[in-house]
Amino acid sequence: MEFSSSLATDPVRSLPLREPPRISGSYSASAAIAAMRDKELGCAVIVDDQGIPEGIFTERSVIQILSEGRSLDVCTVRQCADSHFVVVREEDPVSVVWNAICNEHTRFVCVTDAEGKLVGLTGQRGMSEYVSECFPWQVAVQRLGATPWDQQREGA
Amino acid sequence: MTVSPEENEEFVDPLQNYEPVEYESRLEEALAEEKVSAISILPCETVSPTTSVRDAIDKLNSLSISSLIIVDESRVVGIFTERDVLERVAQQFSQVADSPVSEVMTADPFVVYGNDPVGAAVAATTLAGYRHVPVIDESGNLLGMISPPRVFEFMNSRMKP
Repeated sequence: MEFSSSLATDPVRSLPLREPPRISGSYSASAAIAAMRDKELGCAVIVDDQGIPEGIFTERSVIQILSEGRSLDVCTVRQCADSHFVVVREEDPVSVVWNAICNEHTRFVCVTDAEGKLVGLTGQRGMSEYVSECFPWQVAVQRLGATPWDQQREGA
Repeated sequence: MTVSPEENEEFVDPLQNYEPVEYESRLEEALAEEKVSAISILPCETVSPTTSVRDAIDKLNSLSISSLIIVDESRVVGIFTERDVLERVAQQFSQVADSPVSEVMTADPFVVYGNDPVGAAVAATTLAGYRHVPVIDESGNLLGMISPPRVFEFMNSRMKP
């Protein structure tokens, strides 16, 4: 199947989804950072009591706080949320995520169920993994490392 | 006396059975055959290893970018990304703000070469797991940087009829 057709027909739930830290808007930036580091993720999703995403706090938010000289202990994540907040449904086509990344350079995309509750997180990483699965013969065969082709001894 | 291959009856062309790869789509061919340098690898912001952490963060913020490549005499020595800020800077900013960025950068980052196939750029962001990958030439000089959006934009351009 053509890649463009796969993008249009595969649902978002077929992308690799990760479980992000779920935090309330009253969390301090410091607490959110601790949660992000614990999960080794570049964001935490701000959710309401029902589990519906309200915003996203990202590494970019952290940089903005530090650059502006504000305190990570005083700022709440609601005050400092990333303005780039994209939510899609898990039954939406993958092309929705693809277009968000290509057109707006979106890094993280929150994925919800039909009721709008957060089910996971995808984005640039998830889409890259999807691409590599679609093109195994062009991607999985690549060398990984810093040795250029002319310095390798393949076949030796 | 030198015998040319044509005059030597025993000469067998080692490529006589070579069959060029047939690709199912233009995009598949582009990933395998086109070079990383065909991707838009610029702009690419750099700082020196002695730049302070504070100045590096200000640059990330003012330019709304996610990474800086650390270059020393045109050679890539490190990369400083949003992830480095989260892991090594944020919770001790007051202690490291005036330190050189070389103390908190990721040294000797994963790189791809400008003449690697585009598939190598995808592999770098998926199999190796790096979101920002410097592109260098054979002499180690910085050419630019790739990221998933840049790779996807390239793929978009090869999907158009």
